[in-house]
Amino acid sequence: MSVATRPQPATPPGREQPPVPGGARHVPEGASEQAPSSNQRRFVVGFLGSCLGLLAAILAFNVVIDPFALAGSGIVPTAVESDRSIKLDLLQHLKRGPETLILGSSRSRQAEPAFLRKLTGHSGFNAGVTGGTSADEYVFVRFAADLFPHQKRRYIWFTDVGLAGGGVLPQLAHDPRAHRYLAGGAGFGLGDVKTYLSTDATKASWRVFRKCVLSTCHSQIRYNPDGSLTNQSLRYLPEHAKSLRASVAKEIAGVRTHHETLPQARADLAQPGRFSYFERALAFMSKRGEEPVIVLNPVYPTVLAELNKYGYASRRATLEKVAALHERFRFVFVDAQDIRTWGGNDYDWTNATHINRANMRRLLRYVVAHSDGALR
Amino acid sequence: MLFNSYIFLFGFLPCVLAGWWLLPRKPLRLAFLTGASWFFYAWWDWRYLPVLIGATSVDYVAGLWIFRSEDERRRRLLLAASLTTNIGILAYFKYAGFFLDTLNGIGSGLGLPPDLATLHIVLPIGISFYTFNSMSYTIDIFRRRIEPTRHVLEYTTFVALFPHLIAGPIVRFTDLAGQLRRLTPRLTSRHAALGVFFLACGLVKKLLIADQLHPYVSRLYSNHAHLGLLTGWAAAVGYSLQLYFDFSGYSDMAVGLAWLLGFRFPQNFNSPFKAENISDFWRRWHMSLSSWFRDYLFIPLGGSRLGAKRTVANLVVTMFLAGLWHGAAWTFVVWGLVHGFFLAGHAVLRKAGLTPPWVSVNRLVTFALVSAAFVIFRSPSLRVAGHILGSMIGLNGLDNAAQIDALLPFKFGLLIAVLLAFVNVAPNTWQIRLKPRVWQGMVAGTAAAVAVMTIAQPHPFIYFQF
Repeated sequence: MSVATRPQPATPPGREQPPVPGGARHVPEGASEQAPSSNQRRFVVGFLGSCLGLLAAILAFNVVIDPFALAGSGIVPTAVESDRSIKLDLLQHLKRGPETLILGSSRSRQAEPAFLRKLTGHSGFNAGVTGGTSADEYVFVRFAADLFPHQKRRYIWFTDVGLAGGGVLPQLAHDPRAHRYLAGGAGFGLGDVKTYLSTDATKASWRVFRKCVLSTCHSQIRYNPDGSLTNQSLRYLPEHAKSLRASVAKEIAGVRTHHETLPQARADLAQPGRFSYFERALAFMSKRGEEPVIVLNPVYPTVLAELNKYGYASRRATLEKVAALHERFRFVFVDAQDIRTWGGNDYDWTNATHINRANMRRLLRYVVAHSDGALR
Repeated sequence: MLFNSYIFLFGFLPCVLAGWWLLPRKPLRLAFLTGASWFFYAWWDWRYLPVLIGATSVDYVAGLWIFRSEDERRRRLLLAASLTTNIGILAYFKYAGFFLDTLNGIGSGLGLPPDLATLHIVLPIGISFYTFNSMSYTIDIFRRRIEPTRHVLEYTTFVALFPHLIAGPIVRFTDLAGQLRRLTPRLTSRHAALGVFFLACGLVKKLLIADQLHPYVSRLYSNHAHLGLLTGWAAAVGYSLQLYFDFSGYSDMAVGLAWLLGFRFPQNFNSPFKAENISDFWRRWHMSLSSWFRDYLFIPLGGSRLGAKRTVANLVVTMFLAGLWHGAAWTFVVWGLVHGFFLAGHAVLRKAGLTPPWVSVNRLVTFALVSAAFVIFRSPSLRVAGHILGSMIGLNGLDNAAQIDALLPFKFGLLIAVLLAFVNVAPNTWQIRLKPRVWQGMVAGTAAAVAVMTIAQPHPFIYFQF
């Protein structure tokens, strides 16, 4: 494929090239004209064949392996933790309904219902799931209520700044027990084709393929019947970083790169549909006369200091939203972002965003003490 | 619509190519291509399409009237009307907010209340490029260098042609007039081969190189207050490479898309980091813009024909406006002025015979100066640029291990080293001489597919903001 540039126009005799900005204007002349057109045709065929062929092969591979559980092929286990279905199973098999339900993302998975029972005297179930969203929380609230309809429940609901969001993950939507509580279907759409053409999906597929097809794979994370992590599982949690320091440095760099203004943070919270499942869950609880305790997750001290340095607009917008929600729903709000308020320390963390079991026990003590009796 | 998006590569482009090559007659084909290009433009925000169509209409009519008129005064008036329209559009959309903010700033500096309303005008995408395309058309007709086209569709296609509409290269009517008059009747294997080759090169440059540099460079600029000597230079060199691969990647894609439509575009980059002096750099970097400023501003101002002092003044004025063209911000103004002084300094030194004779030294000095100037170009404010330039001359001392660990990971350092070697040694896209073979097509296709796989989180091209 040769493209030769036309030689630059010669400088007129007796006049030196002026020191001006401005290149010679070239129009490419394809020296490939000398090449036979059959060769050029083969080049194009080779290009299109390999490009489209490779993309089709990648898409097929990712759909078959289905690492993010988008296509529902179900041939091999997914790369993402399948804890939604596991926890729905555990909840379904409980003989008596849990008096306290713990909701949230992986940050809440360290909460032990057994420890909470010592503090409150009530049984509990940990329904926190990896990457948990408002939709997950709504489904667990509804599912528990349907399983044990005549029981009023207490809730500890761990959330991040921003409170709600994340949409409906396919894993949740594909589970028939959850599907009935969710609006809309979960078909494999064009957006999923884009996802499955990506390098991230391909890397995930390859990991699954290596672990589950070339050898036998099994999940290393195990749960107790009350939804808490087994002691053995604590060693394998995917959120464990190799180094807390590196994880914190990365988080701080992220804060410096992406800090929002207050209008941006407010606009984020005002996105249509963002609070759909969050408010539905609150409305459902209110209707049943239940009062959840919403806990704002802890933030690593140096990360929090960095956020405060930039005004921490997202927290301010969140507090405004909490005040607005308080006018419509009953709930107790506990801001646990600053570990000094609940006696946490800066080494009982598994990475910059996840506290470990020791810190979680300290946090639970504080939450119970500041729940205005909602957990008693 | 980004060239590096699925909707463009797998939706818009195949449909346009099919329509363009299957339609039977020239007017139909041109109308289709104009319509498709307008659709491409409106995809971003349809409300700004009338601005593009309005500017196109004014310049087309002005071109015809200037050509028909023999009265010099009337010709001048018509040209002034055309230029006023284009510069007026630019002034309103691009610079009005900047000037009002500056006046407010001066007023508050003098203790006056901010009286002038702050404007929040959205900058229509590609406005700097298509207004310059249009202005060159009417100026060239005024200078009697070209004749206007009688076919309105030839002109609308010239202005709106989607490969160059958003971020260049700035194509002049002389580049495309003959090609629009005699359209290529069918897609030849040569055009297709050139098209996919340039497209693949552009995708690889943008997606596999520039976008990979982006997070490291952003992190360095975000931590501008904490940079030392090494990380300061990493920020400067990293961004220079990112900008080059981003913009030359875009230009390659534009050239490739034009080939797929049967058009030849001018070259926009010619290994700029091989430049041996600053003047040479500007003959190799964004060539379509720099030649525009040379032909329509520097030379009419007197160029280098009116003595040393006037040459220096002309260079500074030209580069000041070239800087302002890039954006309504003081960083761009200062960047342009810095280049104006670099060029003036080089002109004086060359005349005095004081330029070093060693090629490698000249290249190194030129690259260092260009990279330092790009710090001003990239920085959100002059204060941030000052921090980074200060660190580059050692005002913040050497970096400690923790800084290097956090801001200059091994992968980034290696990437910079490899790319520096590449831009200094390897031929550019236009110099690659391959004999088309099926295996070469397969290599290019595989590279393009790998690049496409990284599209999931697309970064817009840097020059889209101008």
